Amino acid sequence: MKRTTIAMVMIIGLTFFVSEGFAFFDQIFKAPPKKQQSQGGQAQGGQQEQPGLLDVLGVFGVKKKDIDLLKKGVGVVQALQPIGEEAEITLGEAVAVEAFSRFGGEYRDERLTRYINLVGKTIADVSDRPNLNFHFAILNSQEQNAFAAPGGYIFVTIGLLKTLKNEAELAGVLAHEVAHITQKHMLETIRRGALLSNVSELTLSAMNKDPKMFSNVIDEITDKLFTKGMDKDKEFEADVYGVEFAYRAGYHPSGLRDYLKTLKSQEGHAQSRFFTTHPSTRIRISKIEGLLGQYSDGMKFPVLAKRFQSYLGA
Amino acid sequence: MKKTIANVAFLALVFIFIPGLSQAETMYAKKNGVKVTAEKSPTSTVVGKLNTGDQVQVVKKVGRQYQVKLPNGKLGWVFKFKLSSKKPAGKTSGSLLSGLTGKTTIAARESRSGGSIRGLKETTENYAQGKNIDPSHRRSVDAMEAFRVSDGELAQFQQAGSVGDYSGGG
Repeated sequence: MKRTTIAMVMIIGLTFFVSEGFAFFDQIFKAPPKKQQSQGGQAQGGQQEQPGLLDVLGVFGVKKKDIDLLKKGVGVVQALQPIGEEAEITLGEAVAVEAFSRFGGEYRDERLTRYINLVGKTIADVSDRPNLNFHFAILNSQEQNAFAAPGGYIFVTIGLLKTLKNEAELAGVLAHEVAHITQKHMLETIRRGALLSNVSELTLSAMNKDPKMFSNVIDEITDKLFTKGMDKDKEFEADVYGVEFAYRAGYHPSGLRDYLKTLKSQEGHAQSRFFTTHPSTRIRISKIEGLLGQYSDGMKFPVLAKRFQSYLGA
Repeated sequence: MKKTIANVAFLALVFIFIPGLSQAETMYAKKNGVKVTAEKSPTSTVVGKLNTGDQVQVVKKVGRQYQVKLPNGKLGWVFKFKLSSKKPAGKTSGSLLSGLTGKTTIAARESRSGGSIRGLKETTENYAQGKNIDPSHRRSVDAMEAFRVSDGELAQFQQAGSVGDYSGGG
């Protein structure tokens, strides 16, 4: 009884030590992770062959079944580990290939690409992940769209760029995408997905070892990014942070709102997956307008229409 | 009792005559290469650069610029959104005033194992081949990652548009 209690206390202790607070409970209570047959089996086999740290507990008289229980608990916690930056970039790079493949390839214009990168880096520098190496590219699609792949890969279509009126609007759109990355929205989404499917861990080594699992995760990301869209709450949060980042960068903070107004006026006839992958444009505009009061000093900040037109003008 | 009164009086004196002790706000550089300038204007002489996690004491706040005191006692001005009141997680404090020149960003590509500058990760190559994705799209990702803007070009761009470090009339 005493030994079991000790083992249980250690499981709980380790769980709290390694997990990410409430996210752990969120996942546990939603659905228990299914044990993966192949990978999980291999991992467990490895643990059985080579005594690990937990096996040392046997020395203290803890029963084998309790040690196994403890290992199981740690396994769950490993699956809940945040995805590291290198693993995030690895995922993002593969998603980036898919982005070019599905949206008409690269829009080749060195001068315009440089401009997008200069605006994007101005935003990224004052974001909450200023040390991440962000990359910005233009897609050769007339459809209006922009999206962010994990690891700092940001895309905007030429169709969307042609709809914008000034640099503040561009900054607002890019800042929304930067916010998805700083808030790690996609990582959180796939981490939850991985727990509910057959993936036991999303580490760099696991992705290197198991191309099938890697391919499945990329499928999950691209499905969310290009077809279904992310949770509404994440989109609204990206708007909130996006407005903040654009303001920090010194752009007129209403840029994103202004673009959404243009988009709304085209609803029904514009070629855009924005309407299926993003929540109601009307609600987004309304929520952003509620925020703008906090940025009264930013109302004198530039929109830089002339500079923008010098790059995109007819 | 007399001793207690004396102690309280001493502490009161400390707080009255050394206001900086109770009010000094410690902040940290959020990224590498944060410029510290001699004057509030970001176009003034650069007196140093901060690395991620470098600590400064905020002396004065004027608009979007903060006057800060560096550990070596020097005063300078920093764009406030390059500072954080929380020490960046997982970052060790680098050497302060890393120099007035030099590259401050280490690209992810350059930090890859094997020292390869060009080329995608093996996972990406395998994935793209498995999905029969046209090689031109892989080259586009390669070009996207290789694309660079220099610190000088970015500063010039921001100054011309009064954005970034040069925003808000700073």
